[in-house]
Amino acid sequence: MQATKSFEQAFLKQMLLGIQLSAVSHGSGSLQERKSAIKLSADVAMAVARGSKKWTRGLIASLSKEEQNRSFLQFVLGKEFERPAKICHSSWKIPRSKNIVRRSLRFLSKRKSNIRAPNSSVLAGTLVEKRTQVLKRLVPGGQSMDAFSLLDETLDYAACLRAQVDVMQKLMTTLEASKHSDAQRPKEKFHLLPMVGSWYSTRKGLRKRLSKRPKLTL
Amino acid sequence: MSSRRSRVSEEEINELISKLQSLLPEARRRGGGRASAAKLLKETCNYIRSLNREVDDLSGRLSALMATMDNNSAEAEIIRSLLRS
Repeated sequence: MQATKSFEQAFLKQMLLGIQLSAVSHGSGSLQERKSAIKLSADVAMAVARGSKKWTRGLIASLSKEEQNRSFLQFVLGKEFERPAKICHSSWKIPRSKNIVRRSLRFLSKRKSNIRAPNSSVLAGTLVEKRTQVLKRLVPGGQSMDAFSLLDETLDYAACLRAQVDVMQKLMTTLEASKHSDAQRPKEKFHLLPMVGSWYSTRKGLRKRLSKRPKLTL
Repeated sequence: MSSRRSRVSEEEINELISKLQSLLPEARRRGGGRASAAKLLKETCNYIRSLNREVDDLSGRLSALMATMDNNSAEAEIIRSLLRS
């Protein structure tokens, strides 16, 4: 996925709507409740802004397992939420890709372990499998994914998480800054999301782009 | 096993793996992307975990900040204007 400006904007808007919905801004409820509400808004917003992916469906599914989230999800997702979650049992679909990925991953490990004892490549395979299981637990909906989908969904999920963090951070910064500034100042349009272009650029390009980011003007 | 098919798929997989490598924060890349698969998976898992922790932390801080916001504050106005855009 290309974590574009439009994703960030959609995410921000959706999250703020969600926060308003859960009345966090009114300051009611305990600190823990408010924090959970914001996290819930952020996660739902991320899934909604991204659209239909295996991990977004997995995320909504796991969120809806908790009783206290249901009314919020119902309200935000409406009809979408009532539809029974289609869990993807598609591991039979591309049986070959699983083995191909395993071979490729083992090949990667073998290249490094060439100098070492012949046993180590077998061990490397087990370690890869163990860590794949860990990754499956971390990526929403990962348990029912074949190896190829897992890699693909991981990429997408990680990029969205990164954007989620960035937007929340920017929101924090903006709100904190305005707290310290003069409240009488005329309300300007805050350019919260100046980033454009693809995130899957080269590391150099990304660094260059980040350094060019205009500072927030208040 | 059709060799033509597996060749195409392996390319796609290598592409995924290299994309994953470049997504991860500055991992030491001695001699160009020759990280082992196990290391790549470990760092990916660590990356996802740390991002989740950051979201958790930011949620706490945002909730504290918003609790002190009243309807007339500049912050509330920011939020309203963001929603209007």
